[in-house]
Amino acid sequence: MITIGRAQVSVIPWKLSYGFRIQLWGILFILPTILFFMVFKYGPMGWAIYLSFTGYDIVTEPKYIGLSNYIGIFQDPMFLQALNNTLVYIVGSTIAITVFGLGLALIIDTGIRGSRFFMSSMFLTNIMPILAVCLVWRFLFHPHGLVNQFLSPFGVGRIDWLTNSSLALPAIIIVTAWRFAPYFMVVFLAGLLAVPKEIYEAADIDGASRFSRFFHITLPMISPIVFFVVVVSALLCARIFLMPFIITGGGPGGATRVLSMLIYETGFSYLKMGRAAAISVVLFLIMMCFTVIQIRLFSKGEEY
Amino acid sequence: MKKSEREGKTSGIGGKKVTRRSFLKGVGTVGLGLAATSALGNVASAQQRGPVKISLWTWENPQQRPWIDKRVKQYIEKNKNVQVDFQWFTFTDLGKKVAVGYATGTAPDGFSTGTWLMPTWLTRNMIAPLEVKQLGYASLDAFKKDYPEAFIAGAVKNDKLYGYPIWFYGFLNYLNTNHFKSAGLNPERDQPKTWEELGEIAKKLAIKKGDKFERQGFKFAMHAAMWTMIQFNPILRQCGGNWFDKEGKCTLNSEAGVRAMTIRASIIRKYRAEDPADTIATNPLPMMDFLQEKTAMFCTHVIPPPAVKSQNEKMAAGGYYLPVQMPGVDPNKRYATAYGFNFVINVNASKEKQEVLHDLYRFVMSDLIDCWKDTKPFTPARKSGWADDPQVKSFPNLDEIIRTRDTGVLLPETPVYNELADIVHQAVQKVTLNNADIKKTLDEATALVDKATEEFKSKKS
Repeated sequence: MITIGRAQVSVIPWKLSYGFRIQLWGILFILPTILFFMVFKYGPMGWAIYLSFTGYDIVTEPKYIGLSNYIGIFQDPMFLQALNNTLVYIVGSTIAITVFGLGLALIIDTGIRGSRFFMSSMFLTNIMPILAVCLVWRFLFHPHGLVNQFLSPFGVGRIDWLTNSSLALPAIIIVTAWRFAPYFMVVFLAGLLAVPKEIYEAADIDGASRFSRFFHITLPMISPIVFFVVVVSALLCARIFLMPFIITGGGPGGATRVLSMLIYETGFSYLKMGRAAAISVVLFLIMMCFTVIQIRLFSKGEEY
Repeated sequence: MKKSEREGKTSGIGGKKVTRRSFLKGVGTVGLGLAATSALGNVASAQQRGPVKISLWTWENPQQRPWIDKRVKQYIEKNKNVQVDFQWFTFTDLGKKVAVGYATGTAPDGFSTGTWLMPTWLTRNMIAPLEVKQLGYASLDAFKKDYPEAFIAGAVKNDKLYGYPIWFYGFLNYLNTNHFKSAGLNPERDQPKTWEELGEIAKKLAIKKGDKFERQGFKFAMHAAMWTMIQFNPILRQCGGNWFDKEGKCTLNSEAGVRAMTIRASIIRKYRAEDPADTIATNPLPMMDFLQEKTAMFCTHVIPPPAVKSQNEKMAAGGYYLPVQMPGVDPNKRYATAYGFNFVINVNASKEKQEVLHDLYRFVMSDLIDCWKDTKPFTPARKSGWADDPQVKSFPNLDEIIRTRDTGVLLPETPVYNELADIVHQAVQKVTLNNADIKKTLDEATALVDKATEEFKSKKS
């Protein structure tokens, strides 16, 4: 017992082990980061999940309504259309990004003349402001725009890229691939450069063709990179908003309205924040499922 | 003991003895003071208050926003105790920003709003009623007489005024008079009075080479839900239809609705005088196709001369454009959608701020000649105090511009307006771009609108 002034303070003997104290210090150091994430990331996520069970028009207090929002969205044709658009967009864009990204990386990896310049210029598409990209593509896809003018010598007639409901989403996928494939090209290139040259030399000695070299050496060796690109690009595409918002405004007839656009419109235009939160939870679950499926799929075929 | 108490019998201010002369002098001074206060009205009352800081949001526009900004600055100069945090946002963003502001407790004390959004604010009790006397009117009836009927219908609810009008205008059909003349038509005499006439004339005016229009005969705006609503609304009403029945059920798929959509699509389907996919219109400049002479006719709100000049100097110099009334189903009943903008007050603003906002709004709109000079030809909502001025009267086609304002019909009043507009916009896109069946499309749209209304009523979303 120690006496400080009039107060008597009991001192507990220090019983914590050295290792535990070290861990406590570690926790103390990362506490600001944990708090930051709790407040700015997991807090809002939790709040969104709570809102999804409420009727909330932004102005009045949220009112608990159980699963009504979830039941409502699956009966809503606009949601079902947006869900379908989102899934088609994710699959289409992921395939396009992966194929074009890998293709570009393979071209540059051959070391042809000017490949470095080619790589730099391709990468520019990724650093251009998204707004400018969208506006430029809107003009390119105009019925009398450059894309159609380019295609006309090949006997292709007028294509209403952005106003035909079956072509508008593929057009957005083209823009997405144009913008993001060069970025993932760099990622693929890093993977290709890491493949040991000796393996190719051995394959050459065995008389392997370019085709079999690619499918039996390159692709298995860079499969973790392919996995990374597929996962990251799919997650990137799941959250796409600005491209369809600026290029088509979700039209024609909702053909390019994706879930993130629907969330925005439902929350801030229709003032149905509870409904918007429910849609965002569904989008979150889709992304989670997508990631889990991909992880399982790729972990089976992983070579190393 | 105080001096006055010590002096016993004397009474007066500061211990001074009150004589008959000083009493009369005092009464005179007070009387003069009261008279001056009364003359200066609300502006003076604002000056007497302590420092007040209010926030005011409005929409961006090359002419209208700078004018409001100018008037707000003039008000601040006269009322040193009032600070106004004046902010503006794009036309489409303003409503969303305000809604988010309410959610986060950062909504402005006052803001301007489109008349079509009034039900959105009113049904959620977001805006406060205004005192007509503080706005300079003896009574609500006196106020009502000074504004177009369509405006009053949207701003007055249960005998209470909720919006102080700024501008109010109707759509007009703009004709390129050169195109008319080149097709052997007289723009004054041959102006389309019915939708059938519009189709026939558009067909004559259109020039097509292969699958490309060199010039479209007439063009409906396709770029935004708001414009779709403004242009479709009068056609629906002219066909005898309405958006909702008395029970609030959507009646878009009625016979009149189908007829209206058939008219809407006829310029493409029947007369083949329009290419809905071919447009260079943008949100800031929806009338770009007309100004760039890619279409011979276009329905729009009044186009300010500087906008014409900025896009087509030749057209501005030659003045070869003519605004006329929109066509009608009946040639004698030609009218358009009329809409406008109100100043409103946040219901959560303190009493003191509400009073200052009344002062401010009244001051801003107190000089309509100045308003016209800076923002012509956007017509102020008020009928009196500007249209008879010689400077105003000299503006070309002013009568047509005022007529469309006064005969115009309001956009549908519904708390789910934004949803309705998006649904109708999508329906129009399906019909005009993808050649969808009109009845089936309208049935689907009607079901969606009813669902949205039902959800709003049950507060389940």
